[in-house]
Amino acid sequence: MARNDLEREVMAKLWDAGEALTVRQVFELLNRDRDLAYTTVMTVLDRLAKKGLVIQRKDDRAYRYAPAQTREEMTAGVMLDALSATPDRDAALAYFVGRLSPEALTAAIEKARNIER
Amino acid sequence: MTALLLGALGLTLSLLAPKLLATARWTDRAPVAGVLLWQSLTLTAVLCALGVVLAAPEEASRAAGARHPETVAALLFSLAVAATIVIRLIVSLVKVTSRARARRDRHRMLVDLLDRVERHDGLSGGEVRILEAPLPLAYCVPGRDPRVVLSDGVLKVLDRPQVDAVLAHERAHLRHKHELVMESFTAFYQAVPGPLRDKAPLDAVHLLLEMVADDAARRRAGSGPLRAALERLTDAVPLAEEVTADPEGESRRRRLARLEGPVASSVALTVAGTAAAAGLLVLPTVILVVPWLARALDAWPFQ
Ligand SMILES: [Zn+2]
Repeated sequence: MARNDLEREVMAKLWDAGEALTVRQVFELLNRDRDLAYTTVMTVLDRLAKKGLVIQRKDDRAYRYAPAQTREEMTAGVMLDALSATPDRDAALAYFVGRLSPEALTAAIEKARNIER
Repeated sequence: MTALLLGALGLTLSLLAPKLLATARWTDRAPVAGVLLWQSLTLTAVLCALGVVLAAPEEASRAAGARHPETVAALLFSLAVAATIVIRLIVSLVKVTSRARARRDRHRMLVDLLDRVERHDGLSGGEVRILEAPLPLAYCVPGRDPRVVLSDGVLKVLDRPQVDAVLAHERAHLRHKHELVMESFTAFYQAVPGPLRDKAPLDAVHLLLEMVADDAARRRAGSGPLRAALERLTDAVPLAEEVTADPEGESRRRRLARLEGPVASSVALTVAGTAAAAGLLVLPTVILVVPWLARALDAWPFQ
């Protein structure tokens, strides 16, 4: 399985759990559907922690891992990044809707979220 | 004389011509030619600036009688100025492209993590990623390993043919490497000293590239679905009508207008615009620089 897919699945498990998990717990959640090595899961969590996407903390005897941001927060951050290109910050991404100021976009994300509820 | 002519041409190309081209509407019917014209306009203006810097001291020294140490100093100084212009442009381009690449790499990693694969449900293409967010948003992350990103909101407000039109539009950006065009104009914009900067070319080129992508998407998915998708995505961004000062409203109107009725692009305008772009780039060199070069070689002060 591709490395990206594994990282995505580990993040999904952490987001769904709603609490910090040990490597063992993540390993067991993932291995319901397939056969992975324990060390593979450990490596993935370590890599995610190095990227700052996952926070690692020592609890009793075991390390526990939790997402640095909720899925919602990270999604909002990504969308903000996608839409807030200005000539002084480089046009890194091309987009369909058009430019919005960061404030307008934040408000728009917020509003869409409230409509949803 | 050559320096004066080059200077006049350079000033026209950097002050007057952009104003004319930015307000032109014929480009809506020949967006590719419009982009080419912007590129040749910008490049020719740079060449003119370099020409002035190099020609002026040589001409002045010839008028004053050469072989003075001052002449040599002036020549060296002008070479240094010309080199500074070129280096500034190159440094800016390297900075812009490397920053853009880093930002895209991180962005790609994040959308890969956030992807809701289970919601793809029949969407073709391995580069599509779905974000869990009600705000309708569609864009692409260019690069060697590109992505097209859609939010849940898009799948909710658009039907399948409309989603396909959006995908075709984004894939056109990726296929035609539109990011390279935007990067070069951004680099030029940033290389110009602050008070002289003009955002108009960037905005104009951006809109023209949208039109190029629209044309590609219309050929694949039809103008009906594309137009509907544009309208719905615009309407669905809740704050769109409150941001009336945003010139993007005008851009949307122009994009929608050219998707109405029969195909709006004109072969004649495209050919004429492309020819003008090529002529602009070649003519000043031929008319002005070549005679100057011939005379300068005859009367080189270091002989
Ligand atoms: Zn576009």
